[in-house]
Amino acid sequence: MELQKKLEILSGAAKYDVSCSSSGSKRKNTKVGIGNGSSCGICHSWSDDGRCISLLKILLTNYCVYDCAYCVNRISNDVPRATFTPEEVAGLTINFYKRNYIEGLFLSSAIIKNPNYTMELLYQSVKILRTQHRFNGYIHIKAIPGSDLNLIELTGQLVDRMSVNIELPSSNGLKMLAPQKEKQSILKPMGFINSKILQTKEEKRIVKKTPSFVPAGQSTQLIVGATPDHDLSIIRLSEKLYQHYRLKRVYYSAYVPVTSQNPNLPAINKPPLLREHRLYQADWLLRFYGFSAQELLNESMPNFDTKVDPKANWALNNIHLFPVEINRADYETLLRVPGIGVRSAQKIIRARKVKSLDMDDLKKLGIVLKRAKFFITCKGKYNGGLDINDKLIRYALTDDVKTYDITTQWEQLSLFPMLDSMPTLNDNFMSITGEI
Amino acid sequence: MVNYYYDGSFEGLLTSIYEAYYKRQSPYIAPAQKSKQINMFEENFQIETCQEKASKVYDAIYKKISYDALKHVYHAYLSELDGVSQNIYQYIKLGFKVGKKVDLYLTDESVFPVHNASRLVRKETHLMHGLIRFKSFDDDLYYASYQPDHNITALLIPHFSKRFSSQNWIIHDIKRNIGAVYDKTNCVITDMPNQIYNKQIFKQDQYENLFKEFFNSICIKERINPKLQKQFMPKRYWKHLIEKQ
Repeated sequence: MELQKKLEILSGAAKYDVSCSSSGSKRKNTKVGIGNGSSCGICHSWSDDGRCISLLKILLTNYCVYDCAYCVNRISNDVPRATFTPEEVAGLTINFYKRNYIEGLFLSSAIIKNPNYTMELLYQSVKILRTQHRFNGYIHIKAIPGSDLNLIELTGQLVDRMSVNIELPSSNGLKMLAPQKEKQSILKPMGFINSKILQTKEEKRIVKKTPSFVPAGQSTQLIVGATPDHDLSIIRLSEKLYQHYRLKRVYYSAYVPVTSQNPNLPAINKPPLLREHRLYQADWLLRFYGFSAQELLNESMPNFDTKVDPKANWALNNIHLFPVEINRADYETLLRVPGIGVRSAQKIIRARKVKSLDMDDLKKLGIVLKRAKFFITCKGKYNGGLDINDKLIRYALTDDVKTYDITTQWEQLSLFPMLDSMPTLNDNFMSITGEI
Repeated sequence: MVNYYYDGSFEGLLTSIYEAYYKRQSPYIAPAQKSKQINMFEENFQIETCQEKASKVYDAIYKKISYDALKHVYHAYLSELDGVSQNIYQYIKLGFKVGKKVDLYLTDESVFPVHNASRLVRKETHLMHGLIRFKSFDDDLYYASYQPDHNITALLIPHFSKRFSSQNWIIHDIKRNIGAVYDKTNCVITDMPNQIYNKQIFKQDQYENLFKEFFNSICIKERINPKLQKQFMPKRYWKHLIEKQ
């Protein structure tokens, strides 16, 4: 088969893997080698769906022995199949890299024959890249669940990031859609990689020349919307993964209906993109803003509000903590104000060292006040224009002209829409007589 | 009102600041080619670039303000925005007054235009680390043309000479007619006429087609979002991206 045809099939089959980051590795170039890692990561292009292309994302093969219902490469699906040889993968990577098309390689694979055989092929490909081509760029590789741990360890010494995809956030979902896979077999390599990374870190402290092991850490992916799991269980799972397996990232992939008619899969036409977006927002809150999953959602409200973002939602539910004074609040408190992110909070902290800030100063700092203005005071002055009442603010935040659907949401305006109950006749009498 | 016009070089800008300080004037500083109309009622000076004076100002910024300030000044200068020379002058003046604290005055009229300009430059540099596309001449010389908003060619050199240290390459800014040339050991920036940029001399490269193929097949059709794509990768850069041709 022609290389072009193979590339078309195998990159098309890899596109549902969302991970693309190339950050976290500081691998240096060698004298006769090519490439290096960039710790902040570099995107090289953006495809028509707006997702960045930083790595050459391909499968080694899409011949698969498994039959997972959500997956486009399952054995029962009638799609064209192809296999790269390890040399072809290495050749493509190095030539794309020389022209600065990509930041490195993301190599995944369907399970051909058995897990060990597949892992062996993946190992061969990166070995050729690292030793024959002296490639020092970024390599992200999939650890195949069920393969030998020695093989995973050998591969880990060559690559920058490894990942094991969990895909379905609960064991029930796994049973229903991927009956051949088990939760334990997925978590085992994850735990192994984690302990290996820790061990290497410790050894590096003593012997500086210890060979690196997965320096950019490991990541995983969860499919959103293929199973009936709530956002709460997804976000709790992510929190556990960050704490116990010290993952760098959990990716969320809105389920794209790739298969026709399986009674266990939801019948949807469009991928749930907004839900995916809300999960990513919550994920950032977990990692960079000091939130816990329990704060964001609870059993009585297990899914995110589609109209307001998770942080604004949290703030509205905890309105008694607001407003905060911009000139005095500490960093952690500033971070919890809707509309103020890490960068804005840092800017505020720096700028207020020499000057106390007012509303105009915040605008000059480039802080988006659309949401923040309801939750802050500047020099003691509140500029939200509304009472600090969660219902009023929620109304103001969601009542966006663009999302306002006239046909379903119009109502007769009332002078007292926000009062808990209308005054009764008795109340009117009382207001005249003054007797209670 | 006093106007200083300098030759457009970074040293020229620093010399103007030197002159302003020692002549005890507070002029309006601008690069010569950009000044459109000369007002006959104002005093106009052509500042002659002097290496010695420039390096004095350079050292003074480093010692009396900070390394960060020096970086902001240089990056802001490279932005080539209208009026940025004057902003830099105001920024340095404040810097000499308050020292390294100058970068805390984020809301000050003389600080935030400079910070803003230097941020734009660093942002575009980072973007170009990814968007530069090399064309290969027989696997021996790699040539890339591009048209950046700001004069960032010099800032691209460290990244590419580390990454492609065993490869001859040229990065050609066809908007400003300058180029960075690297020969596996050294890198220089030279004038480079526009005529070099000629699509005809490149042979068909199979990897270009392969990359186009990859670019198309990696996109999920159900999620097409051109607005998001343009937000990350503005259309003005597409001319030099082979996947978009």
